Amino acid sequence: MQIRTLLSPWTDRAGRFSFLKTTVFVLVLLPALYYAVKLGQNDLGPLPYKEALHRIGDWTVRFLVVTLALTPLQRILMWPKLAVIRRMLGVTAFTYALIHFSLYVVNEKLDLVFVATEIVKRVYLTIGFTALIGLSLLAATSTDAALRKLGRNWKRLHMIVYGIAVLALLHYFMQSKIDVSQATLWSGFFLLLMIYRLAVKWRLALTPLTLAGCAVAAGLATALIEFAWYGIATGVDPVRVLKANLAFAYGLRPAWIVLIVGLIAALLPWIKPVYAAATTRLSPARNAATR
Amino acid sequence: MLIKRRYGWEIPEHKVTPEALFLNRRTVLSGLAGAALTGIAGPARAEGDPSQGLYPAPVNPAYKDAGRAVTDEKYNTNYNNFYEFGTSKGIAAEAENLKIRPWEIAVDGEVDKPFVIGIDDLLKKVTLEERVYRHRCVEAWSMVVPWTGFPLKKLVELASPTADAKYVRFETFNNPEMASGQQPGLFGTMPWPYVEGLTMAEAMHDLTFVVTGAYGKPVAKSMGAPIRIHMPWKYGFKSIKSIIKVSFVKERPIGFWEQLQSSEYGFWANVNPQVPHPRWSQASEQVLGTGERIDTQLYNGYGEFVASLYQGLENEKLYM
Repeated sequence: MQIRTLLSPWTDRAGRFSFLKTTVFVLVLLPALYYAVKLGQNDLGPLPYKEALHRIGDWTVRFLVVTLALTPLQRILMWPKLAVIRRMLGVTAFTYALIHFSLYVVNEKLDLVFVATEIVKRVYLTIGFTALIGLSLLAATSTDAALRKLGRNWKRLHMIVYGIAVLALLHYFMQSKIDVSQATLWSGFFLLLMIYRLAVKWRLALTPLTLAGCAVAAGLATALIEFAWYGIATGVDPVRVLKANLAFAYGLRPAWIVLIVGLIAALLPWIKPVYAAATTRLSPARNAATR
Repeated sequence: MLIKRRYGWEIPEHKVTPEALFLNRRTVLSGLAGAALTGIAGPARAEGDPSQGLYPAPVNPAYKDAGRAVTDEKYNTNYNNFYEFGTSKGIAAEAENLKIRPWEIAVDGEVDKPFVIGIDDLLKKVTLEERVYRHRCVEAWSMVVPWTGFPLKKLVELASPTADAKYVRFETFNNPEMASGQQPGLFGTMPWPYVEGLTMAEAMHDLTFVVTGAYGKPVAKSMGAPIRIHMPWKYGFKSIKSIIKVSFVKERPIGFWEQLQSSEYGFWANVNPQVPHPRWSQASEQVLGTGERIDTQLYNGYGEFVASLYQGLENEKLYM
């Protein structure tokens, strides 16, 4: 086994420069840098740490869901190379969760006793903290050494990422006031990704038609989640929430965005061969080398 | 005695008014004077607020100092819960769509004679004064605002309610053409208009203030122009913005937030650090723009004035 001891964020496992990895590495740093600069400039409103902690929390959920998108994307695009960024994205989600939690502690004036009592007392904090513990377990076992040591158990352990995502999304819903649009949207994307996995489990070929079916199912499920949340957790008439999905003039509701993204993903199997053919024509040598 | 009073008048002007604002007042006043001389108003003020000349009003010495520094105006005009214009705190630009003239307030319910009054006619019937109040949001942040207005009891006297009036119910506009948050779409599903209420005893309390101005000028649109309430001992959501209707009623009104989440927001909503919100602690509060976190006080520190209102009501959920 030839395992490199040093894996930099810009090289692949063979030690060659990876354009994909480098690009993703720079991209995942951007949100954190943006809020660091804004905090430094005191440009986040009257409660800057609270604002930063909420926005970094948004990004944590986004990175977590994007991490879960890689395996289905690999299959849909028939692009195994995508795996090179999966670990980086997973570690990014953990890092953002840690920054999110640290900002909460700073916002509570570093009062650790208070923070600990709040985590125990407030259910949404208990849930969020549990998700953070889960992510740290995954991050701690994300090294090659851990992978070798855990063997078959590594995969079993890393299955908890699905549970962590559910907890993170629930935490997202529960901390929202009456507007749960963002939590609904990212839950919708998560559902889309889970439906893809279900399709694979049922041994369905990921043709554009299957994928379009997945998109419709995820869109409907998103609308249903929103309906259920308002019906159960609030005094808003959930039937009106459902109907609001049809008020297109006032912005697309999460269910439609999930459907549209799902339908775009359904086109990918068609686009990929065209793209691959084009790149092969342009640089056959390079393409051959990466295969 | 004399010395103390004079001291009282001198201190607040300097201590509670930021220098920038103090200068701004003069700018506003000179702008008005210029406009009066030339017979035309400046472009920005032309369609603005005809009540500008009423501000700044004299400071009521009893409420000259809230014990903390006044919050920088730029913070509390840009950090608002005003869901009529969106669910984020940054609705100030959107709230500029609020049309504050003509503005009429309907007074009805258990009164001798219901009536509708224009804001400027109402302002002629009252004497404006400035009061510096602490404001505590249910979201565990706070600020200090120099409000201008008049005690609600003046309006109650004008309304002349009957003995059947047990509560006052306030209503904000419901106008989707003006307020994007009330348009169809998700937020059109909210139980508009915003409603809040209080007991007659609370309405008659001297601290209960009808606000028409802040920082020595007409109250900013993002803060609920042209007329709102402020009750400094209750969580902020009780202090309704942009009022168009005041009803004297027999039944306890159900507020906007109480309708949305009755497990979290109740009728009384008096500030109490010992009683947490179901989702977070109310023990402390972050002071806008200061980076400070301070201990929250029972009734937001106004207990000596208002605690007696709640004697005999111990079985009520007074702090939610």
